[in-house]
Amino acid sequence: MTATVTTPGPRRARFISKKAVLPWLFLAPGLLLALVFKFLPMGKGVWLSFFEVRPFLGDQWVGLDNYTRVLTDHRFQDAIGHTLVLGVGMSLGGILVGSALALLLEGQARSLKIIRTAVFLPVVTATAVVGEMWRLMYYPTSDGLINSGLGLLGLGPVPYLDNPDTALWATMAMGIWMLAPYNMVIILAGLAGVDRSLYEAAAMDGVSLWQRLRHITLPAIRPALGIVLTLAAIRGLRVFTEVYVLTGGGPAGSTDVWMTRAYTLGFTRNDIGGASAASVVLLCVTLLLTVTVNYLRKRGDVR
Amino acid sequence: MRDRRRCIAMRLRRVHRLAATLTVSGLLFGTAACGSGSGSARAGDPNTLEVWTRSDPESAQTYDRVFAAFTKKTGIKVDHQPVMNFDQQLQSRASVKDLPDVMINDTALMGSYQAQGLLKPITPASISGHDEITAKSWSSTVGLDGKHYGIPYSRQAMTLFVRKDWREKLGLPQPKTWQDTLALAKAFAGRDPDGDGKKNTYGMVVPGSAQNGYVAWWGASYLWQGGVQILRKEGSGYRPAMDSAAALRTVTWMKKNLFCGDNGVIQPSALTSVTANTTNFQDGNAGMYLTGPYNISTFDKALGKDKYEVLPAPSGPAGNNDVLADGENIYFGARTGKAKQEQTLAAFLVSPEGQELAMTGDHQPVVRIPVNSTLDAAKVRDDPRWSVVQKAYETASVQFPNAPNFAPIKQDTADALNAIFTYCGSDVSSGLKELNDTLAGDLKDQDLLK
Repeated sequence: MTATVTTPGPRRARFISKKAVLPWLFLAPGLLLALVFKFLPMGKGVWLSFFEVRPFLGDQWVGLDNYTRVLTDHRFQDAIGHTLVLGVGMSLGGILVGSALALLLEGQARSLKIIRTAVFLPVVTATAVVGEMWRLMYYPTSDGLINSGLGLLGLGPVPYLDNPDTALWATMAMGIWMLAPYNMVIILAGLAGVDRSLYEAAAMDGVSLWQRLRHITLPAIRPALGIVLTLAAIRGLRVFTEVYVLTGGGPAGSTDVWMTRAYTLGFTRNDIGGASAASVVLLCVTLLLTVTVNYLRKRGDVR
Repeated sequence: MRDRRRCIAMRLRRVHRLAATLTVSGLLFGTAACGSGSGSARAGDPNTLEVWTRSDPESAQTYDRVFAAFTKKTGIKVDHQPVMNFDQQLQSRASVKDLPDVMINDTALMGSYQAQGLLKPITPASISGHDEITAKSWSSTVGLDGKHYGIPYSRQAMTLFVRKDWREKLGLPQPKTWQDTLALAKAFAGRDPDGDGKKNTYGMVVPGSAQNGYVAWWGASYLWQGGVQILRKEGSGYRPAMDSAAALRTVTWMKKNLFCGDNGVIQPSALTSVTANTTNFQDGNAGMYLTGPYNISTFDKALGKDKYEVLPAPSGPAGNNDVLADGENIYFGARTGKAKQEQTLAAFLVSPEGQELAMTGDHQPVVRIPVNSTLDAAKVRDDPRWSVVQKAYETASVQFPNAPNFAPIKQDTADALNAIFTYCGSDVSSGLKELNDTLAGDLKDQDLLK
């Protein structure tokens, strides 16, 4: 009796340990690559943020000086404001336009597939190329595509990028144009899972379009929206290429965002310690925001 | 039951083998990826120099030709790495303390490199042919401690490129003063010089973005012509000088006439333009461009030699026509043990043969004005326009001081100028005062404020 009980014990333990090891073995290459190319450089970045970096003269420990410098610099403070405006605007705009596109382009028809592919194109185009293209579209004379359109209406031309009052909004519009199709795909996947019979039941009850959206569609795509929101929050904060290509942070720093400031600090002013500190602050804020968004999403799901 | 167990065991073995293969390949990939940038193999070969140049594929071909001639002559091999985003790559390599043996890059970066300890000091006498380089050129490679940290390789000065056909069509003279320039710019913008009946031309091209300090780079010539100094040397240190009456006068003139004046004096979107996207001159819709002579080959191809002329910059209120001079130096990376080979390469690069090779050929030349005083740029190229550039460099040029770390000074000046030019209603005096305080902070950070 005892023997029959004890014998499978170690066997099972061995089996479980093998089972436990196996996923790690599969993960090992990826983890190793992540360690070498992501986590070690990230750790090095955190480490460097406490130094005045001078590789050949010896790095000097400066404690939290770099952080103080970055956080009290008025250009960085302005950049926080621009980053938040741009991040929130691009995220919400991207979700709204993405949802609208998804609702419009949902369905099985072949023509819809072609339109969906066309709409998705901005996502697969390099950001630098998109930036250059939008620079041309925003060209501040009647030769520019958008201004020539305005000209037909008897308006303009508007110097979108050269006016500090409009540059940030113009950058945001380009960001939304790039983000919306990506969100559209995720929301389309969410829409595909909506129970059709609910729509039929709703139609029989004679509910309005808005009620259908509010009580059937929105609850069904809530998980998809949660994912989109998390991704948008992260992407919104680390926005860089769009701004760098389109305006370079100008004019008069009116489109400077956190990442363009960090880049200028690191690679124009060669202040690697300060740039590292700025990047670490961004990492912490992004982490905090992601955790908060996830927490709120989960709480919403439970409710 | 036993069959099932054997089947599971086999499956596990197969999985283990696969996992092992994946792990090993992952490791190999990891090491290969790590190894590729280290340059350890090259570093071990005493007869091979790793040389970095900041060049695009076009100019890299000229460098390749120069290095091939050097290897043929001396037997020393060159592992040439043309790098586009030079500073970013160099900082990455510096962080692992493995620098290239020789670097050819901008003169103005010397202070920044020296501050980080990236450069080996150089004794001019150790470079054969050093006496053929002028004292003016050598003086630009002296660091804060009085030692040389670079060897002059190529020099250039800005000149004014003007659409000759437009100017002659409108019957206007070559501009000699700022007033002439402004009048010509207004005529180019308003009197339809291309004759197509549309108001689609602009007076002059300005790369006015603060990105990478462009507006300070372009605007420096105007500042000097207005009698402005960005920094003033005082004893062993510096003081910022952007709060002077001359600075106020000059920046106000630029703001009023170029940026906030008549529409069309400068091209649209100037405030967010860098040189790469400021193509109005070669596109044929702007009439003037104060810029470096490296554009000559581009303009020849895009416009044609006969369409434009190369003129010395017009004089400003200070009575001079000083322009920004810059160029490239040869730097030796710190802590490499190949001093002899490096000196041999530098001697070849500054020799008449090395300089001529780099000034000619089918691809973009990498030496503009030769640093070797036995050569004449116009004669080597058989093109008299180059004598205008050489004369501007020799007689009417100022370089950014490169002994302090000038990178933050240039960036802060650009940020301030871009802001002043953007807000047309703003007060220039308070903008310059703020800039002066920022520059004082930069100098203080470098322990150079007097």
